[in-house]
Amino acid sequence: MLQKILPENIYSVISEKVSLKALNEIRLRADKPIVVILNGQRFFLGYNGLTANLTEALTASKIMIEDIIFRASECSIYSVNEQIKKGFIVTRGGIRIGIGGDMVEENGVIKTMTNYNSINIRLPHEIKNCSLPIFDMILQNDQINNTLILSPPGAGKTTMLRDFICQLSQRNYAFNVLALDERGELDLGTANCLGNFADKISFARKKIGFENGIRSLSPNLIVTDELGTQEDIEAVIYASNCGVNLLASAHCDTIENFMKKEAFKNVINLKIFKRFVFLSLRNGPGTIDGVYNENFSRVLN
Amino acid sequence: MKWILIAVIFGVCVFIGFMFSLKYKRRSNFFKALVLLAQKLDVGINFSRERLRSLFDGLDENLKKDLIGIGGNYTTYLDGNGELSQAELFKGINILKEQEKEVVFMFFKMLGRTDVDSQSKEIKNFENRFQDMATSAIMDNKKYGGLSVKMGLIMGLLSAVVLW
Repeated sequence: MLQKILPENIYSVISEKVSLKALNEIRLRADKPIVVILNGQRFFLGYNGLTANLTEALTASKIMIEDIIFRASECSIYSVNEQIKKGFIVTRGGIRIGIGGDMVEENGVIKTMTNYNSINIRLPHEIKNCSLPIFDMILQNDQINNTLILSPPGAGKTTMLRDFICQLSQRNYAFNVLALDERGELDLGTANCLGNFADKISFARKKIGFENGIRSLSPNLIVTDELGTQEDIEAVIYASNCGVNLLASAHCDTIENFMKKEAFKNVINLKIFKRFVFLSLRNGPGTIDGVYNENFSRVLN
Repeated sequence: MKWILIAVIFGVCVFIGFMFSLKYKRRSNFFKALVLLAQKLDVGINFSRERLRSLFDGLDENLKKDLIGIGGNYTTYLDGNGELSQAELFKGINILKEQEKEVVFMFFKMLGRTDVDSQSKEIKNFENRFQDMATSAIMDNKKYGGLSVKMGLIMGLLSAVVLW
């Protein structure tokens, strides 16, 4: 998919001179050097590959950015306008492209975004078995502990969620899993990415997705990415009251700061989540910094 | 031998006349098909918001035939990752005038570039232009289509008389 959306000169440099496995992000800003992030480290992209020298860096243009967005929408911007209004689009294969530009608002409603001036192409990775170190802490005695994975952006939350779903299937735990994929990032579209027992609802808000999913698909476990708003928390409490287990993620830089988050106060007080897994970028994406129980006592250092 | 030569020349003249008439017919069908395509795209984009590739795949065979390969050329562009060019879009198509090519190219070039409301307005605008082109092509077909066959026939007969 990357080949289809990037200009040929940029794709050829990336495919020939950069390790795609280690590539996390490609950032293009109009008339600015192209930045790539590999294993959490920032570099400029030059004709000869990675460089720290600004003068050797390739420069992005506004037309280039517009064309990437056009290509990523499969030449049909109108079909992804609802995503563009939220500031991103997701391609088939789970590549998420964050977009910077001018929001067009009419009567207080965002209609679209124009004048695109920057994009952040985030490449998903399927890292097999990355959830194994925490698997037994989430699944105990054939029961799933409600778990919230916390980390700063780009530390591997989505990859961890995806692998956990896959591990359940591989180990033949026939839980009915509902993957509520609000941003289209969980399912990479590859064979067996979400295993054999997962249903998927994409691009729905948590509240609607949880309600419809519980009503119609009877899940034992709901897996969802990036809880953040009060509405998301209400959806979590609703699912918990319905007896459905939860595996979710949220942005946070430290566990202490998470405990101070206003939106999560209710969830913490009600002890809905039995496990909090904190990931960091300390040793690259996916570093498990600690696992905590509902009382925030460490169960894994 | 003389009779065979007369028959061949007559046949060639009639064939040339028929080919000219066919060109007018194809032009008329092409612009009518473009109007229909614009209407179908407008409905598809407005209601199902399907992607262009899938909308073009869903076109019926008659419409594809009347579009004389432009649909296929466009889907080739959609599948690749290059820029849309006139040469690529009009590959194998030789019945359009330069000015018409410009308008048709602009239509395909703007497809998929904006949100639903803007697409719908732009498509409607082009549909009106195609409608005018279709009206003119239908008139040309009526006027010159039959005339070309008749001219071919007359030229054939004239050549036959001269040779005889």
